[in-house]
Amino acid sequence: MDDSFEISAAETELLDVYERLHAILAEHGEELPPFAQRNAIKALAALWQVANGLGRQPGQVYDVGA
Amino acid sequence: MPDSRYWNPHTETLPLDRLEALQERKLRDLLDWTFARAPWQARRLREGGVEPLSVQTLADLRRIPFLTRADWMAAQEADPPYGPVLTQPPEAAIRYHTTSGTSGGRPLAVLDGAKDWEWIAEMWCYAFWGFGVRPVDTVFFAFGYGTFVGFWGAQYACEKLGALVLPGGNMSTEARVRMLADCDATVVCSTPTYALRMAQEARRLGIDLPGSAVQRLILSGEPAGSIPATKALIEAQWGAKAGDTAGMTELGTVMMFECDHQPGGAHIIEDHYVEEVVDPATGEAVGYGELGERVVTSFGRGFIPVLRYRTGDLVCRVSADRCSCGRGFDVYDGGIRGRADDMKVIRGTNVYPGAVEAIVRRVADVEEFQVRLYTADGIRDEIEVQVELAIGGDDVLAELGRELAEAHEGLRFGVRRAEAGSLPRFELKAKRLTDEREVWGGTGERKAL
Repeated sequence: MDDSFEISAAETELLDVYERLHAILAEHGEELPPFAQRNAIKALAALWQVANGLGRQPGQVYDVGA
Repeated sequence: MPDSRYWNPHTETLPLDRLEALQERKLRDLLDWTFARAPWQARRLREGGVEPLSVQTLADLRRIPFLTRADWMAAQEADPPYGPVLTQPPEAAIRYHTTSGTSGGRPLAVLDGAKDWEWIAEMWCYAFWGFGVRPVDTVFFAFGYGTFVGFWGAQYACEKLGALVLPGGNMSTEARVRMLADCDATVVCSTPTYALRMAQEARRLGIDLPGSAVQRLILSGEPAGSIPATKALIEAQWGAKAGDTAGMTELGTVMMFECDHQPGGAHIIEDHYVEEVVDPATGEAVGYGELGERVVTSFGRGFIPVLRYRTGDLVCRVSADRCSCGRGFDVYDGGIRGRADDMKVIRGTNVYPGAVEAIVRRVADVEEFQVRLYTADGIRDEIEVQVELAIGGDDVLAELGRELAEAHEGLRFGVRRAEAGSLPRFELKAKRLTDEREVWGGTGERKAL
């Protein structure tokens, strides 16, 4: 049984933002000044809930500090 | 969909087969994570004969050994302060919390990372949104904001959903009642016991709660939130709807909530948990409509993976269609009915504190009550209920004694009137039963006729 469900264009864009943010933190997190890094981590923790709630597999994000 | 009835319309309305498919995928992910990063939990699984690929479906879940509070506590005591249960180093965490300590034992300590903490608030959002709380609301928290996780996640949930939060920590009951009335709180969060205590205080102060702005109470921390008589009393005294929730520190947040259709129980948040109900004695699954113990597997908290945790909570699960709200989430009819370890045996009769409370609240208009077990004449178990009556006299006490006996196979209850204000009051979890019986044998073995 397929466990995915249909999502809207806006929700798809949010998933893209989540992936992009995750990638930025993974690649450049340590280069960012504290205000940018910590706020980005907070945003990632919130967007993780969106990805998870949309039935995706966002995995764990401790590696980037969230 | 700005007017959605559901916090997450995608998952809350999934048909059963799709919901189970989602749970199975999350279960496999959880197993992978546990084997990869949680050595203590992984060792327990392997000792139980479980390997990463041996759990693929919900039916396979029963292969996983139960985790008990005692297992966890022993691990924590052997390796303080957190035990070997963490997947990450403690410095990766942003929150420390403990269990309430009301069980009398040493509290369990837990840690959460940023994503986990956000998830903890997310679970509370299901509850608040589902009970009709919206961004326009003003939410008062009658909560001490200490190490006990309690309503911490609930406060963050209210911030997340856009409500105005009134943090009522470190305040007297009088100050809390005045503040929630003065600030036009529309939602109040507390334990059921403390909701009644605040109503009592409001009457003393001449504050008309039913005439206030309060429309909803979100209750947690005690089974009483779903005891019909207690709930009816709270709703009458506040002139507001009361919604039950239940959570636990071991999982960090709530696992169930009552929606605004008030089906007489709480929906399980099934896209984030798998809940089983088992016979407390045998560990075998029981069916819909049968009383059993909750066993929970959580998909949310990666810092401490929890699989098949024996909660000790007694519940009666019924299918989602018990409620007309349209959610696909099953319901615990009557919420949490009590604790498996709460049951007392008095002269051969099983007595549950929750059942006693249901009768006390239904029969008598009480300000407060206490149940005391003691040994009479050195040989006989006795049970006594002390009540502070708001209205009524000896006839009410006699009627209460009759009703309690009738509900307990004729067991005689002593019912005694207590002086006004003499019984203890509670802000968090109420402790209304004291067991002073003399033990003559092993644990729990007592003199009895």
